[in-house]
Amino acid sequence: MGGVGELFITLGVVLGLFVVWQLWWTSVEANAQAQAVVQEFRATLPPANPAPAPAAELRTDDPPVPDAVGYGETIGTLVVPRWYGLTNNAMPIAEGTGMDVLDRAMAGHYETSQQVGEVGNFALAGHRRTHGNSFRHVDELEEGDQIIVETAETWYVYEVTDHEIVTPDQVDVVAPVPHHPDEKPTERLLTLTTCHSLSLGEYGNDHRWITYATFVGWMDRADGTPDQVR
Amino acid sequence: MYAWIFRHLPGNTFWRVVQSLVLVAAVVAVLFLWVFPAVAPYLTLLEGDPAVG
Repeated sequence: MGGVGELFITLGVVLGLFVVWQLWWTSVEANAQAQAVVQEFRATLPPANPAPAPAAELRTDDPPVPDAVGYGETIGTLVVPRWYGLTNNAMPIAEGTGMDVLDRAMAGHYETSQQVGEVGNFALAGHRRTHGNSFRHVDELEEGDQIIVETAETWYVYEVTDHEIVTPDQVDVVAPVPHHPDEKPTERLLTLTTCHSLSLGEYGNDHRWITYATFVGWMDRADGTPDQVR
Repeated sequence: MYAWIFRHLPGNTFWRVVQSLVLVAAVVAVLFLWVFPAVAPYLTLLEGDPAVG
């Protein structure tokens, strides 16, 4: 076999390996890092109380709102019951949406958006494919599906209302009132943003998949755990 | 090139195959751990905008 032929074959194999690396290995690494962050977060929590009887109901009065944390610090974890068996449940939520945060299979909190439980929009970004495939199955969420945020003190439960597919420049989907950056919010929303492609689906990023959820209640950790958290 | 390397590995055919596999594994490890992470920001095979995936 000629040297030139070997060179081309080698190039082809290396490109193939690159695809394997991007679609598989980045997730192996990112999931391990995310798991370590969740364990670190859980280690700071008081030991879990045995479930009190009768089982706690979700509270619908004003929830406590945690203080903002610094960039890269852990806010809590994100639990999407629909994604059990599919992706990380729970995945860490960290402050900021830089690649150093998202590449560790974490959901990143848009620093300009509101805190969890606050009136306005608690907006999160996550990878669709690669680096943990955090929000890969966002397209399987249906209206009414729960999205749950766990912090050191509180469970916050939101329910999916709808979704839309937008171009990447439509950044006001994370405004306190999505698409109306000048309006004063009255509702507590949670927004998931991730990549989407009209032609390549989960493999492309020419568009953004935006899923909206609205707050339905909260629970003090000391009182129990929401039904859908396993 | 590969035939030349294979010929110059010591031992019988069995040991040459074992050594070849070790060499391949080493190359893949270097690619996965150092080379690919370094070039990934410049290689956007499926992505128009590398900002968010």
